[in-house]
Amino acid sequence: MTHTLRQSGTLLGFAAILVFLTVQLPGTFLTTQNLINITQQLSMLAVVAATMTIVMVMNDFDLSVGSMASLSGIVAAVLFSMGFPVWFGLLAALGVGLIGGLFNGFLVSVLGILPFVATLGTLTVFSGTAFLISDGKTIFGRDIPAGFSGFARAGIDINNVKVPFLTLAALAVIAVCWFVLEQTNFGRRLYAIGGNREAAYLAGIRVKRLRLVAFALTGLGAAGAGLMYAARVASANPTQGSGLMLDAIAAVFLGMTMSRYGEPRVMYTLIGVLMLGVLDNGLTQLRVDSYIREILVGLIVISAVATASFSKQTRRV
Amino acid sequence: MAKLLSTAAALAILAAGAWAETVAVITPYLSQPGTQAYVEGFEAAAAQKGWDVNVIDTAGDVAAVISRLEDSVTQNVDAIVINVDPAQVNVGLLAARDAGIPVVGMDAGSDPLIAANVTSNGYAMAAETSVYVANRIGGEGNVVMFVFEAFPPVQIRGVIADAVFDNFPDIDVLDRITPDVSDGGIADSRAKMEAILAANPETGSIAAVWAAWDQPALGALQAIEDAGRADEGIVITGIDANPQARDAIAAGGNFEASIAQDFAGIGSTAADVVARLLAGEELRGSVIYVPTKLVTSANAAE
Repeated sequence: MTHTLRQSGTLLGFAAILVFLTVQLPGTFLTTQNLINITQQLSMLAVVAATMTIVMVMNDFDLSVGSMASLSGIVAAVLFSMGFPVWFGLLAALGVGLIGGLFNGFLVSVLGILPFVATLGTLTVFSGTAFLISDGKTIFGRDIPAGFSGFARAGIDINNVKVPFLTLAALAVIAVCWFVLEQTNFGRRLYAIGGNREAAYLAGIRVKRLRLVAFALTGLGAAGAGLMYAARVASANPTQGSGLMLDAIAAVFLGMTMSRYGEPRVMYTLIGVLMLGVLDNGLTQLRVDSYIREILVGLIVISAVATASFSKQTRRV
Repeated sequence: MAKLLSTAAALAILAAGAWAETVAVITPYLSQPGTQAYVEGFEAAAAQKGWDVNVIDTAGDVAAVISRLEDSVTQNVDAIVINVDPAQVNVGLLAARDAGIPVVGMDAGSDPLIAANVTSNGYAMAAETSVYVANRIGGEGNVVMFVFEAFPPVQIRGVIADAVFDNFPDIDVLDRITPDVSDGGIADSRAKMEAILAANPETGSIAAVWAAWDQPALGALQAIEDAGRADEGIVITGIDANPQARDAIAAGGNFEASIAQDFAGIGSTAADVVARLLAGEELRGSVIYVPTKLVTSANAAE
């Protein structure tokens, strides 16, 4: 019973939030357009959170994703402003994400630095690099090609509903992360490392190499989210992605309260992301003060995790 | 009967709509003292007009401003006021335009999608403080500049100060520093200034510090005082004249001058502009300037 409560408490909370907002905001919350808006608003966070799940599966985490997102946007925008074509800017930015992620992985798995320290260090390295190559400036206007920012504005018409490309891109990333973590040997090995690193190593799993790859994927995801962000705001600023990191970690933690053994799962992370986004959207529409909104979001994360760990304790006793 | 009732209900809704316009004020910068002041000025003016104001702070997140713009359009507010670079929230502004909701900027920058931007004349403010510096040091000496290119309203201040100092052949810009503002700007400016003082130990090697806003000026003041070089006559100027800067100027030390933007005035003027738009007026100018005032020890206590 407590087991079910632990697993479904967060989900019930989410359902309660949805019902509350639907009742309080008749005609404006549960509309196709608003729900599409929410998915688009959440697309960047969803990408960061889904790829963050990959390292959190191994009990690691990556604090540098926010500044990597800023850096990738800046790299693309600087290349655009130098006249390089869009595809080149995108590839270069994703390449920077991959290399940055590999560097994180190298620090954590090869050198054995704690992820907290290693990624805290790279957080400032990436952020400083973004400031350096952008000269601290926001790159916007004519420097950003219409083909790039247009991506965030366009979508595919499905039954007369425009599904934004940003939403579709996020869905694609989530699908890939889900497939990799849940359906491949690679994913199962990551979960094994998360369960017991020593045992996984003794069982012949190449822990170092897998952690390296996992961090590289998280870096790649952060760079992708940074590009989506830059497209959405049609500009790149050396600090613009910094808010993504804490929200992504919060979403993964929210998701972990729903899984069987408290391990991160991509689909539960997605529910965590949806919770955060629905609250932001709904509370804005309800005209709740933005500071109160922040407090509420924090309290919801704490209470979800508290419920989960409390029922875990009672189970053990 | 039912028809009558529904007509009455419709009229009541219309009347309620006419009496309580909803206006969303959206900014990522509410923790900045200046932004707070114009939001308060706006709220005070809006309260007199009987509007329902929803102030939304996205805590530095610009993409979230787009999201909140979209939410406000969904909620069908009557007008939106923003305090963020419009070029960065273009998608949200398009949503507002498509819904026919007017958007007014408070110190936001100009954009075709904004009905009007209410602001101080940043060019004029920077000209006033940089000329003050040039005159005070007799047109010669080394000047340290604190600038911030990432925020357009502050960026233009640096451009003007560059031009003014460049026009004095004996003034050299020793360094052009962009402080890290994530902690508010004072602490990092102080650290940067300490490094510059250490690198230039001779008396008189630094004639002045020109800061594009007050926080770096306060940081530089702390660094100069702590280095025991307050009596060298280094002239410091800021812009914005926030309360802490006014105190420092009134104390009569190195921090000599700043410019007071009428933040509350920007807020209340923005409310007036919203009122004109809601009344159906077409605005001719897309930038509306609210006057500023030089603050020195003579009037800092006002």
